[in-house]
Amino acid sequence: MLHRAVPGAKLLAFALVLTGVVASANVLVVGGIALTLVAVIVALRLPWRPMLLLALYPGIFGAIYSFAVATDLLSASLIILKAITAALVAVLLMFTTPYPQVFAPIQRVLPAVIGDALLMTYRSLFLLLEKFSHTLTAVRLRAGLIGANPIRSAATITRSLGGVLLYSIDLSQRTHDVMYLRGYDGRLVVTPQPSVSAWIDRGVAIVGAAIGVMAVAWRIWWPGLNPYAWIPPLVAMVLLVVALAWRVFRKEPV
Amino acid sequence: MSHIHIPDGVLPLWLIAVGWIAAGALTALAVRRASNHDLRRRIPLVGAMAALMLVGMSSEIIPIAYHINLTVLAGILLGPWLSIITALIVNVMLALVGHGGVTVIGLNTLVIVAEMVVGWFLFGQFARVFGRRRPAVSAAGATVLALIVSTTLLVGIVALGGSPAATRESGAFNPATLSFANPFGGGVVTNVIVAPQAEQPAPKLPVARFAIMVYLLGSVGWLIEALITALIVGFVARVRPGLVFEGASAEPVRAPLGDEGTHT
Amino acid sequence: MSDSIGVHAHSHSHSHPASSPDEVVRVSCVKHRYEDGTEVALCGLDVVARKGQRVAVLGPNGSGKTTMLFHLLGLLRSEEGIVEVFGVDPARHWKDVRKRIGVVLQNVDEQILAPSVLDDVAFSPRQYGMPEPQVRERVSAVLARLGIEHLSARVPHNLSGGEKRKVALAGALVMDPELLVLDEPFEGLDPASRGELIALICEHAEQGGTVIMSTHDIDTVPEFADYCYVLASGGAIVLEGTPAEVFAHPDVLAGGNIRPPLLAEMFARLRALDPGAPAPELTVDAAARALADWKCGRA
Repeated sequence: MLHRAVPGAKLLAFALVLTGVVASANVLVVGGIALTLVAVIVALRLPWRPMLLLALYPGIFGAIYSFAVATDLLSASLIILKAITAALVAVLLMFTTPYPQVFAPIQRVLPAVIGDALLMTYRSLFLLLEKFSHTLTAVRLRAGLIGANPIRSAATITRSLGGVLLYSIDLSQRTHDVMYLRGYDGRLVVTPQPSVSAWIDRGVAIVGAAIGVMAVAWRIWWPGLNPYAWIPPLVAMVLLVVALAWRVFRKEPV
Repeated sequence: MSHIHIPDGVLPLWLIAVGWIAAGALTALAVRRASNHDLRRRIPLVGAMAALMLVGMSSEIIPIAYHINLTVLAGILLGPWLSIITALIVNVMLALVGHGGVTVIGLNTLVIVAEMVVGWFLFGQFARVFGRRRPAVSAAGATVLALIVSTTLLVGIVALGGSPAATRESGAFNPATLSFANPFGGGVVTNVIVAPQAEQPAPKLPVARFAIMVYLLGSVGWLIEALITALIVGFVARVRPGLVFEGASAEPVRAPLGDEGTHT
Repeated sequence: MSDSIGVHAHSHSHSHPASSPDEVVRVSCVKHRYEDGTEVALCGLDVVARKGQRVAVLGPNGSGKTTMLFHLLGLLRSEEGIVEVFGVDPARHWKDVRKRIGVVLQNVDEQILAPSVLDDVAFSPRQYGMPEPQVRERVSAVLARLGIEHLSARVPHNLSGGEKRKVALAGALVMDPELLVLDEPFEGLDPASRGELIALICEHAEQGGTVIMSTHDIDTVPEFADYCYVLASGGAIVLEGTPAEVFAHPDVLAGGNIRPPLLAEMFARLRALDPGAPAPELTVDAAARALADWKCGRA
């Protein structure tokens, strides 16, 4: 169903939910949002395995960051959970919208150079991750990552990093070449996707706004709201159970 | 330690605003300069380097939570104008995935830009002294100095922000009292499950002490980063010297396609 | 077409005079130096493709075929020598000619841009601002022409090599280009697909389009090419002519490290053994007929 929503509505919802996640300082609120997103993924029969895997990756970033600044387990969890939830929203957007539809509106509001660079970063990221994991596996198989000799391992890794770097630069250049040959010139041009159902579009935007507003409001009025902090995750749990039931009992995709 | 690990809500608003304005101005300038044809054809390099920096920052080569930045490496390959754009993109993406605060994107960008541009400039100068045949040496020297500069900038920002910031930045660890300060000051998080607690007072830590600690701990990172950068630059300079020495003004450098031509 | 084959040595670079109006492509002594010192000098003869011609650029790996094509596409810029496509330098004026050129590069995986076949083929027309109903029409037409409409909703990465190539070809043909530039298009294709591609190339030329392609698949060349240029290692253009003319010079070809087509070689050896053997035929059909005729004494 999300596939049918207009990209503009999805981008708006994405921005609102993301604002909420970034602004929030409450582990349970963010957790509730995360569970709600998982419920959406389950209900819409989206490929949850790759999506969750991709979303967990920034958790590593969060973990590194929290090592530097967090004081206790709770604040560390908050940082990591925020990272994962933000990634979940992004993944939900990318898996239900072709990337030109996502980047074209973004590129329209940015200077051409930055928009182009953003798109190339996006495409390079996936190419690089794939290549890097292949290389890391090869190195691990051959020399062991942190084996008996950490210095030599580091040297091996950096040398393979150099190879990966050149590969990534070349690939990025070739991808750009191909796009350039086929008419791309810094700004993606897309035909606006017509609205299939105004209800779906509005629904997506409203749900996004609701989540975002709730999270921001919670941040502002937290003294009064915090005692009820068990509500969002509970609601989200209920939604998740409903989504699972929906999946089981209703065979056709939405 | 090029990326400021300062969470939101710690630095004073005026400092944050200054950061955004300065970063914005730099970006506008960079966009202007990068819009001419030659630099525009190098945008794919920006994408590749930004992606590399993002991935690099999540890879722990030495398991003490030190992550490589590859900022100076990127600066050398990109040149100053494209570096600014790359730094902005990297910072925004890092903030979105939780590696760093959102409000400090401006300041972060300034610090990283300084690191990249200083690194690029110094590399150029050193290469003139040490010659093109020893790029690794030039790269190592440039990296160390660039990191010293950016760390100094960091200390400066923290000093401007006042002492509480100092405590919270450096892993929020106070060597004087051997305790951690709560960066979210207000028990906002702990309020969730346990009964509301009183706001914890932030311990005072003189900026000088903070500075000493950062420089001492940082220097280990500088050496590691210098070594890695030197190794990679050496490798790239051997295989594709145009990337390293010509800077961002040259045409996109293409690898020979499938073993073409005669080798001299 | 004249009988003479332009085999002549040049000791200095120069360009040949007077381009005729129906000339689509001209490459004249273009030199390119890669970073690591590799040099490609596309000198010796001019490479010219005229409207409606199907030109094959032959040469072993390492001879600079891809370099030449990249110059034609404006991806490499020449500081000396002439590259002209539709009369302009593609490196400096790509936007003027890009809608008239369709490209399929060697590595198909790198050419796929979109998550669905339909979106990938529609990339160019959409970028050029074509209204969506027209885009859909064109895309369906070209998918039907290549026989892959059933794949239109599929993810390109999951397709077989041959299917991916067809998708790339569809993307190149969707704008009805006057010039098709193909880099090793037969690589990895099974014989059926190869036949289909050859038919497509001939069809394109019949409708007035021009094709220039690089290949080292010597045996297929006589089936689709009107004209050939032979590159030796380092980029030197050593031979030009129709396939029959070119393959009648096995010595020059061998010097450039190119094995002539099996049929040409067979007829050459046959001639050596028996001077009364028939003239070389380069397609299997014609060869079979010639040999049958010879056996029956009707040569």
